[in-house]
Amino acid sequence: MDQWIIASEFAEVAVSLDTEANGPRLRLTDLRGGRVRYLDALELEALAWLPDERMRELLDPSAGRWSDGRRDG
Amino acid sequence: MTVQYSELIQPERVHGSLYTDPSIFAEELDRIWYRTWVCVGHASEVARPGDYVRKKVAAQDVIMTRSTDGEISLLLNRCAHRGNLVCEDERGNSGSFRCPYHGWTYRNTGEMLGYPYNQGYGGKGKLSLGLGRVPRVDTYQGFVFASFAADGPSLKEHLGAAAGELDRLARLSPEGEVELTAGWLKHRAKANWKLLVENETDGYHPQFVHGSVFSVTGSHIGNLYSDKSTAVTRDLGGGHSENDLRPEFRRMGTPMTWFGTSEAKVPEYVAKMRELHGKQAEEILIEGAPHVMVFPNLFVAEISVFMIQPTAVDETVQNVTAVQLKGAPEMNRRLLSQCVGSVGPAGMLLADDSEMYERNQRGMAARMPEWLDIRRGVGRERVDENGFRVGAANDETGMRGFWSHYRSLMEREDAR
Repeated sequence: MDQWIIASEFAEVAVSLDTEANGPRLRLTDLRGGRVRYLDALELEALAWLPDERMRELLDPSAGRWSDGRRDG
Repeated sequence: MTVQYSELIQPERVHGSLYTDPSIFAEELDRIWYRTWVCVGHASEVARPGDYVRKKVAAQDVIMTRSTDGEISLLLNRCAHRGNLVCEDERGNSGSFRCPYHGWTYRNTGEMLGYPYNQGYGGKGKLSLGLGRVPRVDTYQGFVFASFAADGPSLKEHLGAAAGELDRLARLSPEGEVELTAGWLKHRAKANWKLLVENETDGYHPQFVHGSVFSVTGSHIGNLYSDKSTAVTRDLGGGHSENDLRPEFRRMGTPMTWFGTSEAKVPEYVAKMRELHGKQAEEILIEGAPHVMVFPNLFVAEISVFMIQPTAVDETVQNVTAVQLKGAPEMNRRLLSQCVGSVGPAGMLLADDSEMYERNQRGMAARMPEWLDIRRGVGRERVDENGFRVGAANDETGMRGFWSHYRSLMEREDAR
């Protein structure tokens, strides 16, 4: 399985193509937090078309991993 | 105590305290480095959206970024929360930056994107904070300049005649663009920054300081600064100065002599330039690159670019890289090797100069004589057809121009 590491001083994520399911998926592994997420073709297409404003919202630490009242991450 | 610059800076001499007094250095930061236009880097260092590099304007840690819309920003590397450094790496690609201390996150334009556990601040978007931005950023021939003053002369006004020298550098590229992509070397010198600036267009020292290099390499450079040379030193105004070697190169009349080579060594480049420029190619290939000191910190020495960064009254870092000409790979290999040979870690030119900077600083610890002499060539200066003061190749015309402009900045009533 080919794997690429996309890393900066802010984050390190391993990216690979997963073929274990009925169709191909992109496997993302947050190498610092250990979290794994799969993205299918439609989700990737949605990301490609995601307006910058929405991406900015996702980058808000309180938008997910570090939101008040949530235990994940 | 207020410093009387008119007493310390006289037409033919300058006082030693200008290089050694910490209070003068502190005033220089306010009145020059955090006010006038200072060269920070080059647009080619952040060629793609998300690219960033860390830079310095004197003591200010600055992040140069390129956003998705292509705009270059200069951000202060200081989190708006607790003042932590936001970026640690010297370069990278990231559209946003997250402070490692508490996770505050910013777009690479400085805009705040958010902070963890936002209920502690009353929710999302409750803080009107962001990374500090250098108030004015502008570019010329890809060179990126910063001014910490919200208003003042434009970059074009600041550059004045020095802009033409940057044009002359860019026209050596078949695509008309310089690139500074070879990486930077940082040379730390225990010397005041002005000693470096003055030395850059001092044509009096090469035959002494660099004599051994010229003799082993058979270089003709020393002759360009002899008393018989037709080259000139020019005060370009605004504190800028140049050693204009073109009269000598025109006299020799051979393409690529400025580069210490012949056209047979770079045939593809020469052919491409002739195809592009026709008859004018000969002028470009004969006259070559400029040797210009752009006030206060950008020095183009034909094949190398220097950005001078003061760190203390007696310490300066010289950031050095090779000129790279877009669309000229044949030239770029040679430019890089010549640059490394002259100003690299084991380079033969900058090592000589650095020794002189540091000896200079140490020498000035002696109490007498109190002054440094800058009168060389006063009696034989003339004004050229463009109104610029011109001296012989080894005269101190450039230094006098530097000090005149320095004094005007340091004496400004509204400087604080």
